[in-house]
Amino acid sequence: MADVTARGLRFHVQQLGSENTGPTVVFVHGLVMDNLSSFYYTLAAPLARNGIRTILFDLRGHGLSARPETGYTPQDSALDLLAILDELGVEEPVYLLGNSYGGVVAMHAALKAAHRVAGVVLVEAACAGQSGELWVEDIVNTLSVAALGLEFDRTGEQLLKLGQRKVAKLAGNADALLNRTSLIDDLVSGALLSESDLRQVACPVLGVFGAESELAGAAKDLDRLVPGCETHVIPGLGHTVLREATGELIKRVLAWLDAVR
Amino acid sequence: MSESSVLDEVVRLIAEVVGEDVLLGMEITPETTFSDDLGLESIEFVALADRLRERYGAQVDLVAFLGDMDIDEIMAMTVGQLVDHIQSQPAAHG
Repeated sequence: MADVTARGLRFHVQQLGSENTGPTVVFVHGLVMDNLSSFYYTLAAPLARNGIRTILFDLRGHGLSARPETGYTPQDSALDLLAILDELGVEEPVYLLGNSYGGVVAMHAALKAAHRVAGVVLVEAACAGQSGELWVEDIVNTLSVAALGLEFDRTGEQLLKLGQRKVAKLAGNADALLNRTSLIDDLVSGALLSESDLRQVACPVLGVFGAESELAGAAKDLDRLVPGCETHVIPGLGHTVLREATGELIKRVLAWLDAVR
Repeated sequence: MSESSVLDEVVRLIAEVVGEDVLLGMEITPETTFSDDLGLESIEFVALADRLRERYGAQVDLVAFLGDMDIDEIMAMTVGQLVDHIQSQPAAHG
């Protein structure tokens, strides 16, 4: 029941509060080391308890979903998301909540299928403009260095010998994703939206950022470019808003949903 | 349902999630921890929770149980704590 086949691939999907009659929120997680568990243990259960139907899925190549060699642009992941909703029989417009890179995927989905997306919550995500360009440059550099290290140090094998199963598995998954799929190339070639794309976003958008994060500039870009946008910058926090400001995020999302519905 | 049979059932489901070979030569007791002893990844614990829900029904209400803990507390949990929770739900008996 946790597996959904969409676009010919097996996706790991979890739903909390599937019997709820409130709005549907679909969660989109971040890159490489991230998966749906970062929402499962933070936002999903509290939102489900507030009557919201929550849908969580592992992006292709991540968590317990299949890892094909190609198709890692956010446009592809946006199509994956829409196909999963088709398979689940979700026809009404949904709210998308994306953390970090997941926000980029959510925004692509909102532009690609405006009639299916009622609103977008971006948590620490830069989708366009200078903040987006800096983010892509930074993430591609970080992932490329990590890819080389994983390939040449055989980190996973060494950790396994030391009995570090969990870290070994994480390293093995990261190695496979970075060195044996098109993920890094796909990010270089097609992750970002343009500023004029953002001006076309027709649905309400909520952005939540950490004041100390390198992405704090993205909040200003959203305010400047997206018509129906509300942003909050939380003092003292970096990129880890989801984990460190979970309570505040839940309150903000519930209040925003009440206001825009 | 007796405590040992819930424990047996939880152990069986853990093996389904991580694979039998990982557990070779390891005895899972109520004191075994998910993170340090079993090396369970957080996404694997999601898969385990899913199987427990299928096995014992929504009444076991793992979401509420887990919803009161953060991820570090969940992963530091022992197998026995999870068994006790299942055990304490009347709906899980039988």
